[in-house]
Amino acid sequence: MAESHSPLDVFKIDRLVHLCLGGSVDPESGRCASGLDASFTNSSLLMVIVLVGVTAFFLLGMQQRALVPSRWQSMAELSYEFIANMIRENVGPEARRYFPFIFTLFMFILFCNLLGLIPYSFTVTSHIIVTFAMAIVVFIGITIIGFVRHGAHFLKLFVPSGVPVFLLPLMVVIEVLSYLTRPISLSVRLFANMMAGHTMLQVFGGFVVSLGVLGGWAPLAFIVALTGLEFGIAFLQAYVFAILTCIYLNDAVNLHH
Amino acid sequence: MTEDDSQKPKDFAERLRALRGATQGETDSVGRGRGTPQTPAGWVFRLSVELVAGLVVGGGIGWFLDRWLDTKPAMLLIFFALGAAAGMLNVIRAAKEMNRDLGGSDGK
Repeated sequence: MAESHSPLDVFKIDRLVHLCLGGSVDPESGRCASGLDASFTNSSLLMVIVLVGVTAFFLLGMQQRALVPSRWQSMAELSYEFIANMIRENVGPEARRYFPFIFTLFMFILFCNLLGLIPYSFTVTSHIIVTFAMAIVVFIGITIIGFVRHGAHFLKLFVPSGVPVFLLPLMVVIEVLSYLTRPISLSVRLFANMMAGHTMLQVFGGFVVSLGVLGGWAPLAFIVALTGLEFGIAFLQAYVFAILTCIYLNDAVNLHH
Repeated sequence: MTEDDSQKPKDFAERLRALRGATQGETDSVGRGRGTPQTPAGWVFRLSVELVAGLVVGGGIGWFLDRWLDTKPAMLLIFFALGAAAGMLNVIRAAKEMNRDLGGSDGK
């Protein structure tokens, strides 16, 4: 019997290069005893690979700039058009200036999700701190955009129309809380989908081993189907993250609920 | 492709601009396009996340205020209830969106 693997081992963070900012390293565990642990981990490595991958995808894909695009160029153009249309439909033409940010976000999440599906790789987006960091950046950025564009009028977002005056204080608090849930629901949705999918793949992978040559084929077939599903989810969740960013941006830019 | 050679790249830029102008007018009125197209399982997941997120945010704020103001259970209780209300508000909004996506009435 081989050593037992926990299905959650795929989510383990390994420090590849130890780096301790302004602190001392504990000699036994090799971790930071104090100060900021800025070690280069397998998660960081995958993010670097994703950045290089996205950049290469567009730089190499758009190298020829043919009028009749090759398959690669067509893929790059397709993803551009996809996000550009999404922003135009959901926020309006004046939101084109936010296109670079949303496009970067979408491609980063998409590549993180897809590269995470490669065996022995690591899924960056299955860690809530990563998705939460992205969601909180979106949230703070959109709040700033709202205040810059509308000033104090942006606060009208928290005042629902058609509510009796004596209920208004309560409703405003609830609206503010509902606004504050946005980064949580945005990040949890992406994180939970990726984590659940990969855990399920691992669990069924364990079944294949434990059932052996005779019974292992059924879970193996299931894994194949599940991997196909995961590809769909990888794309869908990147899309959902981008479109929800657009919908929130719409509230800030056009100021109607 | 031999007959189409008369359309040079310059024409193409003009045609693109004309097309953009045509679609621009079309989309000007659209403040809000289609929401998130989702499968039933996706909707189930979305609604539950919205509900739980409200509780998490409300409970978190209440806990933090308690620690700050030293009013131990009071703020947590109040904000937990408010967070639940906010979560339900979000669920109702998401359900309205779902209704619209499925072609039902807006609920207004």
